[in-house]
Amino acid sequence: VIIDRPSDAAELKRYERKIGDPGSFPYTRGARAPRPADALTAAAADDGTITRELSGEGPPGRSNQQFQALLEHGATGLDVIGDTPTMAYLDPDHPLARHAVGNQGVSLCRAIDWVELYDGIPLQRVSVSHSLPSAFAISGLLIAAREHGVDPGVLRGSALQVPLYHEDTGYSARLSFDLRMRLALDSIEFATRAMPRFHAYVEDTYYFSDGSIEIVDEMALGLVEIREIVRRLIARGVDVDAFAPRVAVLVNCRMRLFDEVAKIRATRRLYARMMRDEFGARDPRSLAINVAAHTSGATMTACQLTNNVVRGTVQTMALLMAGVRAMEISAFDEALRTPSHEAHVVALRTQQIAALESGVSEVPDPLGGSWYVERLTDEMEQAIEERVRFIEGLDDIKELCAQGFFRSLFADAMVDRAAAIDTGALPVVGVNRFVMDPDADHLLRDVSQVRIEPSWDHIERITAWKAGRDLAGVRRALADLESAAREPETNLMPALVAAFDAQASAGECTGVLRVVYGDPYDPFGGGMQRP
Amino acid sequence: VSDPIRALVTVLGLDQHEAGALAVARLLRDAGFDVVYNGRFNDPDMIVAVAVQEDIDVVGISCHSWEFLYYAEELATRLHAEDPPIPIVIGGSIITPTDRDEILAKGIDAAVLPTALGDEVVETMRALGARRRDASAPWA
Repeated sequence: VIIDRPSDAAELKRYERKIGDPGSFPYTRGARAPRPADALTAAAADDGTITRELSGEGPPGRSNQQFQALLEHGATGLDVIGDTPTMAYLDPDHPLARHAVGNQGVSLCRAIDWVELYDGIPLQRVSVSHSLPSAFAISGLLIAAREHGVDPGVLRGSALQVPLYHEDTGYSARLSFDLRMRLALDSIEFATRAMPRFHAYVEDTYYFSDGSIEIVDEMALGLVEIREIVRRLIARGVDVDAFAPRVAVLVNCRMRLFDEVAKIRATRRLYARMMRDEFGARDPRSLAINVAAHTSGATMTACQLTNNVVRGTVQTMALLMAGVRAMEISAFDEALRTPSHEAHVVALRTQQIAALESGVSEVPDPLGGSWYVERLTDEMEQAIEERVRFIEGLDDIKELCAQGFFRSLFADAMVDRAAAIDTGALPVVGVNRFVMDPDADHLLRDVSQVRIEPSWDHIERITAWKAGRDLAGVRRALADLESAAREPETNLMPALVAAFDAQASAGECTGVLRVVYGDPYDPFGGGMQRP
Repeated sequence: VSDPIRALVTVLGLDQHEAGALAVARLLRDAGFDVVYNGRFNDPDMIVAVAVQEDIDVVGISCHSWEFLYYAEELATRLHAEDPPIPIVIGGSIITPTDRDEILAKGIDAAVLPTALGDEVVETMRALGARRRDASAPWA
């Protein structure tokens, strides 16, 4: 393993302060010390390297088949995304969900859905990431593990926490700031004890940056959210070294390879200093942020689909060179549909070829020491840090959310990006450069343009299930959840798990919580009512 | 000088992707339209209610979910039942030529495919919106 250090004493001092060896403070070169280059073997999976693809489609049983296929093709982790009703905390029988069940992710609203989702999946060794409402994902996973006889202490994987920007882009569910924050903090604190190997706090900078804000704001807003959550957990009396070792960040990866590498290196350094100097963390694992990545769906075009395979390759190489140990890359049909089986396999193969054939994973931080990359890293670090200070200097973060400050940032950036593509200022091959006649643009269309019908039969299944439940038990569990929610010192999670166990649905639990926090039970105008 | 065309730009159902809608809203505003942006989470009831209340000349729906396929017929029927009929355009990166043919058959006035750049979006909305505006003018 190659780690060159400067020989000059002054230079060495500077190296140790700013860069450090892989696995050493300030973790610029990666969270862990070098390891053997058997990146994708089963042993390496235990070592933490995770190859996965975003998946989830239809009812839970269909998604389970998708998972089995991915694992057969060499995935070492899973990343589950809900359909749009699930992401909006709505049950499939909500009127606004009627054409949206299961066609952009998996439908999950009750305990049995989670048990079916993970049926036959070796949860002891497969890491399961959840791009889903976090408190429900943690409850559901816990129940699935129990039903399948898996000790919660060995569960690996993660849940995204998005309390600050949730309503402003991508994940709106009409939840108040205080409720979003309560669900995030309660679920992180709960999982830290109940599922100690699980990353209950993944800061997701992907969803709010894709298609909108640029790289510096991506990490600045990510750090603003991390800082807010860490401060609030510490204020609750949680020891920083109890939760910080399991904090991770899921970053975006667009096309500018060196910028993305520098961003990740700068983030590790900023995070290490912040956790040590501002938040008093002492455990080295609390200082070394785990970086995972999802490559940009917005860079995937609907024109000339084959180009997207090339884009995915460039992005994978960037992430491997940045030392990212868990990733999923957007599939070539991303612009048109949730991934087809064929696109899933190509995405896995892209990761596997880059890791096993290219050699980029054999050396930690292979770009470290390059004058260009080190300069970019320094510049990125400074720009991100200044931006964090600027935002925190404006006002209290909750107040900034209420004023729509973040919403405006995201909205303006979306418009600017579209204009940059429209005018050609941002070159996109196949879209504003080297455009092809649509009639000649047929490669990969056959699999990419297959439409996924909504799972209307699943709506019927849920309607029948709701009618057949022990309603007295559901009402008691919802009343208990309501009582817990009215006590700010009480962690909501045990009551949430108990409500799932008593056959309450995610939509019902959310409705009850919304009312406690001063909002209507069904703010989507569907006329849903508490059972 | 004619009054500006009044356009409603909106997102349908539980689709959370607003990038296209926000971009189209600005394109139209820059092209001289009066734009009403209605954000996310709209069903046909809400879209028709806003279109009528705001005296809209053309409705533009930006989509990144397949819900448009199933709402298209109801939207077209109800917006066309207004006097004068309100035209409706659906656009988005996920719309294929097959989808376009299907929604045109269901009564949608125009479909904008992902190959379209800004000018095509503006001109499509302008042609349909101007027709309705002129038909609803007091002297028409």
